[in-house]
Amino acid sequence: MKFGNWGLIKKNRSGVSLSLSLKKLIFEVVLVAIAAFIISMTIITERERRDYGVRDSDNVLKTLSSNISSDIEKYTSLSRLIMIESRVIDFLRAEVSAVSMGMINDARYGIMDILNSTEGVDSVMVIREDLIIVATNRFTYNYNTDLMNSEDWRREIYEGNGRAVVSLNSYGIAEKADGRPMVSIGRAINDIDTQKRTGLLMMNISTSVFENMLTRLGYNNICIMGTDGTFLAGNREYENYFGDEFLSEKIRHRNIRLGGKDVLLSGCRVNDLPIVILRVSPYGTAGIPFRMLYILLFLLVVFTLMAVFVAIFIRQNITDPIFELSGAMERNKRSGELKKIDVEVPYSELNMLEGDYNSMIDHVNELFDELVEKEKTLQKAEMRVLQEQIKPHFLYNSIETIGFMALDAGADKVHDALETLGSFYRNFLSKGDREIPLSREICIVKDYLSLQKLRYGDILEDEYDINEDTLNFVVPKLILQPMVENCIYHGIRLKGEKGTIKISAHLEDGELHLIVRDTGVGMDAELIEKIVTSRSNTYEQNSSSFGLWGTIERIRYYAGREDVVRISSEIGEFTEVEFIIPDMMHPGA
Amino acid sequence: MYRVMIIDDEESARKLMRAAIDYKSLDMEVVGEAASGIEAINTIDEIKPDIAFVDISMPFMDGIEFTETATKRYPNLIIIIMTAIDKFEYARKCVSLPVFDYMLKPMVRAEVTKVLERAKEKLDAMGGASTSDFADSEEEPAITEANSTELIKQYVKDHITDSTLNLAFVAQNFGFSSSYLSRKFKQDTGKNFAKYLTDLRMKKAIKYAEQGYKMYQTAAEVGIPDPNYFGRCFKKYVGMSYSDYIVEKAQ
Repeated sequence: MKFGNWGLIKKNRSGVSLSLSLKKLIFEVVLVAIAAFIISMTIITERERRDYGVRDSDNVLKTLSSNISSDIEKYTSLSRLIMIESRVIDFLRAEVSAVSMGMINDARYGIMDILNSTEGVDSVMVIREDLIIVATNRFTYNYNTDLMNSEDWRREIYEGNGRAVVSLNSYGIAEKADGRPMVSIGRAINDIDTQKRTGLLMMNISTSVFENMLTRLGYNNICIMGTDGTFLAGNREYENYFGDEFLSEKIRHRNIRLGGKDVLLSGCRVNDLPIVILRVSPYGTAGIPFRMLYILLFLLVVFTLMAVFVAIFIRQNITDPIFELSGAMERNKRSGELKKIDVEVPYSELNMLEGDYNSMIDHVNELFDELVEKEKTLQKAEMRVLQEQIKPHFLYNSIETIGFMALDAGADKVHDALETLGSFYRNFLSKGDREIPLSREICIVKDYLSLQKLRYGDILEDEYDINEDTLNFVVPKLILQPMVENCIYHGIRLKGEKGTIKISAHLEDGELHLIVRDTGVGMDAELIEKIVTSRSNTYEQNSSSFGLWGTIERIRYYAGREDVVRISSEIGEFTEVEFIIPDMMHPGA
Repeated sequence: MYRVMIIDDEESARKLMRAAIDYKSLDMEVVGEAASGIEAINTIDEIKPDIAFVDISMPFMDGIEFTETATKRYPNLIIIIMTAIDKFEYARKCVSLPVFDYMLKPMVRAEVTKVLERAKEKLDAMGGASTSDFADSEEEPAITEANSTELIKQYVKDHITDSTLNLAFVAQNFGFSSSYLSRKFKQDTGKNFAKYLTDLRMKKAIKYAEQGYKMYQTAAEVGIPDPNYFGRCFKKYVGMSYSDYIVEKAQ
């Protein structure tokens, strides 16, 4: 089973982590909020600034309109004074034949007397029905006599029925020689007594009146124009922006670009007058609704903080516990054991996850146990099959049968040998016990040696010096047999002469001292050192001393300590191995 | 002289046991063998051993079952278990039974001799051969029923299929000593009990044989579930082997 895959799955699963997408989401939300804030701020600011500009322009234009109207009104009343001046009346009443230069001059003086106290009037013309003219400042004008002879220009004035009619540039009949534009007020003159029309009056007002007015009011962003598009006064730059839409008395607004700046162009026609006022107002900071923006900004900050808080909340309460859970699972995996995990998580949903994991661990462990149990059963079955195959009782029974045959045939020695072999195997196998009494161990060695003596005859002699009180001392099975095997093959046989193996055992401080001594070729100190100090399973298995080393290791494992052996030897003389084995059956005794 | 019986299904094992040990020096002699627990039950009353070597793994009635039966009927019999199978389960069962010793095969003469020496000591201490379960006792039972032999014959007929039926068992059942019963039975019927029982079984077996039963089936039906022993009994009684008998009858 591959439990190692779990970790990988977690890391590779579609590559999107909750915490990452959460961060992205929060970031996006904040970004959208900031964008919405900026856009709405811009819109509101622009709107408010425009509204502010519009209101401002409305006020200025209205004020200016009424100023202009009242100025024109003033000049209109002045024109009435001229109409009732006696010398002018005389001039108008006189017969054609009676009109003399003197009379004309008198009338002129009369007009000039009235104008004396007034500024801005450039010229006044009084024209009789028969087109005889009295005019002030007449030499600065060029007269269009053809037009004058026609009726058209007079009709408009006459339609006013004595009321003032304002026009530009004297209805075209007289233009300023220097081309400067004029605002003309024209009215029909009726005789006071007869109420019969006697002529008409035209007053040309200089545009300087408007210039002065603008200066006085301190307006420098105003352009005053005629309805025909002629520039009258103010800022000439705006002349080009004149358009038909401004011919209405209602105030119109237009956004234009001037000198690289967005500005508001507003304009309207002055009441009943052929005059248009244009105003340009730049968008200043004055219109910006700062209070509202601050509130919006505050809201944005609050929103952002909330988003961050939500992110932190989710992180602390969801993703961090998930990481913790995941970490615990990972550690669990690394530890190689499948234990339940115990992680403090803040919510029941995550607890559920932990519970599910733990119950899965339980389940897996159950499955494992089941598997192990099955494996064990299988192993036992296999072992049984194996044992059945070995069938030691078959061996034993066969040995007995052959033994009887030998006895029956008079081969007593064969019977002896078979009996020893049987005894050896019976003790050697010993029901699979790991620990046996020393007496059994001695039996095994005796049988083994007597069988070996059959093979090697007279090169071998064995001696025993076993104290009575050691016979029941429990030792690991098969510690002596490999020792004496060693004695024969690596000691005595190499020497080529008769050798003795002596096994002695005695108790000392409750510990068994088991000594195997052979009169073989001996062992050099280096090898002894190597055998005694070598650890773990690094010892070369092919080494001739592996059996000895392995036996020492087994006794160490059994005794649970390192100090269990002493080896002494003299090259060519003897080897003596002494085991010191504690009483593990009665520990502490 | 103490009497030794060897119960083992392997002939060579029995022979080795007989040949390898110097019984004479122990003041013992091997008086009989049995190849199965069934055979032993049927012949033990005549062999009358003081000591029995019993193998555990035998067919039809293993050493454990035999020992269970025998120790009830012959409380003074010394049973020495000999087995090649070193199983804890066997050892545990034997410990719960009054066996004298438990030995593992292959046998080692020295060990067996040692055990026999101890057995001799015990027998000596108990008072020698006179205390044997099979010793002749002259005592008459206090109450003797005139028709007891008839009752016993009827009992045997009724329990003919019980493979553990033997003299000692019946004697125990009727409150007699086996030696008294043996004598009385022979007096009344002219046959000893074992022969009577076997003859009865063989008569029955002949009926089965005539019906064409296989030998092992008949053996089980007549209370000798060991067909080897049954075959020997049949041949002894009829004078020919069971299969020959069936062939002859079929003609």
